[in-house]
Amino acid sequence: MKTRRLSVLVALLILAFGMLGSAAVAQGDVVIVNWWTEDYIDLDQINETLVNPFNAEHPGIQLVITPQTELNNTLRTALASGEAPDILQTPGASFIAEFLKSGLIYDLSAAAAEFGWEEKLLPWAYQSGILEGGLYSIPLTYESMILLYNKTVFEANGWTVPTNLAEFEAVAEAALAAGINPLTYGNVGWQPTNEHLVGIYLNNVAGPENVYKALIGEKSWTDPEFAEAISLLKTHIADNGWFGGSLETYFSLGWDDFWAELSNGQAAMMMIGTWGFRGANEFFDESGQVWDWAPLPVFSENAGAYNYELATGSTLSVNAETANPDAVITVLDWLMSDPARVLTIASGYGYGEFMIPLAFTAEDFPADADPRIVRFFADFAAVTGEGRVGYTTWTFWPADPNVHLWEAVEKVWFDELSVEDYLAEHQALWEQARADGATLPIPAR
Amino acid sequence: MTYSSQAGTSPRAAKWLRALGRWAFVLPVLLLNLVVVVIPSVAGLAVAFTDWTGYNVPSFVGLQNFQRLFQDGVFFLALKNNLVWTVMFLTAPIFVGLMGAYILSTIKRGQMVFRVIYFIPYVVASVVNTQMWRQLLNPRVGIGPLLAERGITFLDFPIFGTRETALFGVAFVDAWHFWGFLVVLYLSAMSSVDVELYEVARLDGASRFQQFRFVTLPSIRPTLVFTILMIIIWSSTTFDYVYMLTSGGPANASELMSTYLYDNAFNRFDAGYAATIGMMMSLWVALAVAGFVYLRRRGWEI
Repeated sequence: MKTRRLSVLVALLILAFGMLGSAAVAQGDVVIVNWWTEDYIDLDQINETLVNPFNAEHPGIQLVITPQTELNNTLRTALASGEAPDILQTPGASFIAEFLKSGLIYDLSAAAAEFGWEEKLLPWAYQSGILEGGLYSIPLTYESMILLYNKTVFEANGWTVPTNLAEFEAVAEAALAAGINPLTYGNVGWQPTNEHLVGIYLNNVAGPENVYKALIGEKSWTDPEFAEAISLLKTHIADNGWFGGSLETYFSLGWDDFWAELSNGQAAMMMIGTWGFRGANEFFDESGQVWDWAPLPVFSENAGAYNYELATGSTLSVNAETANPDAVITVLDWLMSDPARVLTIASGYGYGEFMIPLAFTAEDFPADADPRIVRFFADFAAVTGEGRVGYTTWTFWPADPNVHLWEAVEKVWFDELSVEDYLAEHQALWEQARADGATLPIPAR
Repeated sequence: MTYSSQAGTSPRAAKWLRALGRWAFVLPVLLLNLVVVVIPSVAGLAVAFTDWTGYNVPSFVGLQNFQRLFQDGVFFLALKNNLVWTVMFLTAPIFVGLMGAYILSTIKRGQMVFRVIYFIPYVVASVVNTQMWRQLLNPRVGIGPLLAERGITFLDFPIFGTRETALFGVAFVDAWHFWGFLVVLYLSAMSSVDVELYEVARLDGASRFQQFRFVTLPSIRPTLVFTILMIIIWSSTTFDYVYMLTSGGPANASELMSTYLYDNAFNRFDAGYAATIGMMMSLWVALAVAGFVYLRRRGWEI
C-alpha cells in the first residue's frame, strides 16, 4: 500500500515538473536580445525611449540593454570566451576589422538588402561598415569635430570666432593677454584624446584631400604637408601651451576639469567632437554662461573651405554566435526606420550619443531641440553633401597606425621624437597594415 | 584501527592506501591549482611564441616576439621604471611602516584606533584612492594652487602630467595606501617580541633607537624579509594606480611592464607580444623567489 502511495506521489511530482517545464518553454518563446552599452548611459532614459517602445511593438522579442564598466575591454574578453551579447557595441571600425578576421561577427549584407539600409543610412556611414565585401556594422552614433567656445567670454572681450590660422592665433594671443587660457582640453581618463587633436590638424593643415590620398596609399605620411600639420600642433600645444596653459596641464585635465574651465570663462575655446554638446549643456547650465560652436578654423590653403570630419562614434554589429540573428536584425532595422525616434533617443545625450546617421532634416528635430545643435546637423548635411569632408582617425585608421598616432605623438610633443621620425614610423605601420590587408573602407571623394 | 591491521592487507598495500588517503585530501587543492595556475601559466608561455591577437587562431612564430622585445625601447623603459618603483617601495614605505609600528607599539591605550586608521586606505578600492588623490593634486583646484596662494609653491605644478614627477607621484599615492598594511604586519611581529629583552637592554643603558636597532629589528627579521620579498614580487605586477592616474604617460614616463603589457594586449590586439612581456614579469618573480631560497639555504633565518 505504502509502495503504491509512493508511486502515485512520484508520478504526481513528475507531472508537476513536466508542467513547469512546459511553462519555461512557453516563456522561452520570447526571444531575448542582449546589448551591452557604455556605463555612462542613463539606463532609465534609454529604457523609456528605446527599450520599452521596442518591446511593446515586438511581443516576441525582449530587448535588454545593460551598461558595462569599461565596455570595450569587457566585450572583448566576453567575445574571446564566447560569452558576448547578441549586439556588439564597439568604439569603431578598426575593432570590427579584428573581430571579422576571427569570424566573430555576422554578415549583415542580406539584411541590409532586404530592409534597404543603404538608403536609410548616410552613404559614407553605410560604406564605413563594409569590410571584405560584406556589411559588418552600422554606426550607432555619427559625430564630427567642432570648435566650441564660451560666447560670454567672446562677447565680453569683443572677439570674433576664428575661421583661419591668423584669426585663431590672434584670438589666442588676446586671450592670453586677458589672463584666459586660449583653449582647454586634457587626456586624463582617455589617452586616445590625443588623436582628436592630431586628426584636426591633419585635416585642417594638410587638408582632407591630402589625408584622403594618404589613406588610400597615393601619398606618403612623410610628405611635407603632414609634417607641417604635426609641427603646428606641437607649436600650439607644447611650445605655446595653449591647451590648458601648458603641455603638462593637458596631461592632468579630465572631462570635468576642462568643462569647468570652459564654462567658467577660464578658457575661451575647446576643439572637441560633437559629443561635447552633452557636456556643454550640462556645465554651462551650472555656470550660467553661454556656449556656442563654429566649424574648426582652416589652418592652411591646403585645406580649402572648412570641412567636417566624418566619424562614427560607436558601431553596432551582430555576434556571429547569436542564436537569433533575425531578432537582432529586427532591433537594428527598428532603430534605423524612424528619424524622429532616433532623435528622441539621442536628445537625452545632446544628440551626441545614439545619433544613428540617418538623413535628418531640421523638421525631424523635436520643437524643443537646442537650435545650436540643430544648426550643426543642418550645416553638417549641407557641407558634407558638397563633399567637404575630413577623416577622423578612429574611423578610418587601422588599429596599429591608429594607436601609434595617439601614443607616439606624446614623444613628439616632449621633443623625444622628431616630427620626421614620427611620420616615418607612421608610414611604416601603414605599409604593414596594407600588406596585412588591415586597411578600412575609405569613402571615395 | 589502521589499514595494516585489516585482515588480508599486506603492509605494502596498507602503506599505499595511507598515501592514497593523504593524496585524496590534497587532490581538490591540486586540481584547483592545476586549473587556475598551471594551465593558464603554460598557456601564457605557449602564447608568447605565437602571433595571437586575442581572437584569431594563433600561428607559431618561434622567438620572433622575444627578438622584438629585446629591441623595444619602451619595454626597457618600463623595466627601468619597475626597478625604480621597487627601490622606492623597499625604502620609504618600509621605513615609515617600521617607524609607525614601533611608535604604535609603545602606545597602550587607543592603539587599535590607530591601527584601524592606518589600515583604512589599504582596504579602500584603488579607484576611490586614485580619484581622491587626483583631485587633491589637481593643478587647478588641488592643494598645490591652494598652498601657492599662501606663498608655498613647491606643489604648484601638474605632478601627474610632468614627465620627471609622474612616476613618483603615482608611487606616492600607491605607497600612501600601502604603508598602513606594513604597519599592521610589523606591529603584530613586534607584539610577539619578548619584553624581557627590552628590559635587559634598558638595564644595559640602551637608548630607544638602540633598543629598536638591536632588539626589535632582529626579532622581527622574518616578517621584515617576508615583506621585502612580497614588495619585490608585487612591484613587478603593479598596475591599477598607474593605469588610473597616468595610463603610463606622459610619453611613457610612468610606463610599467604591466601597463605596457595591457597596451599591447588590449589596444594593439597583440596578445602574443603581451604574453612575452608577461614572461619577463614572471622571470622577475622567479628570480626574486630564487634569491630568497638561496639565502635561506645559506642559513639566513627568513
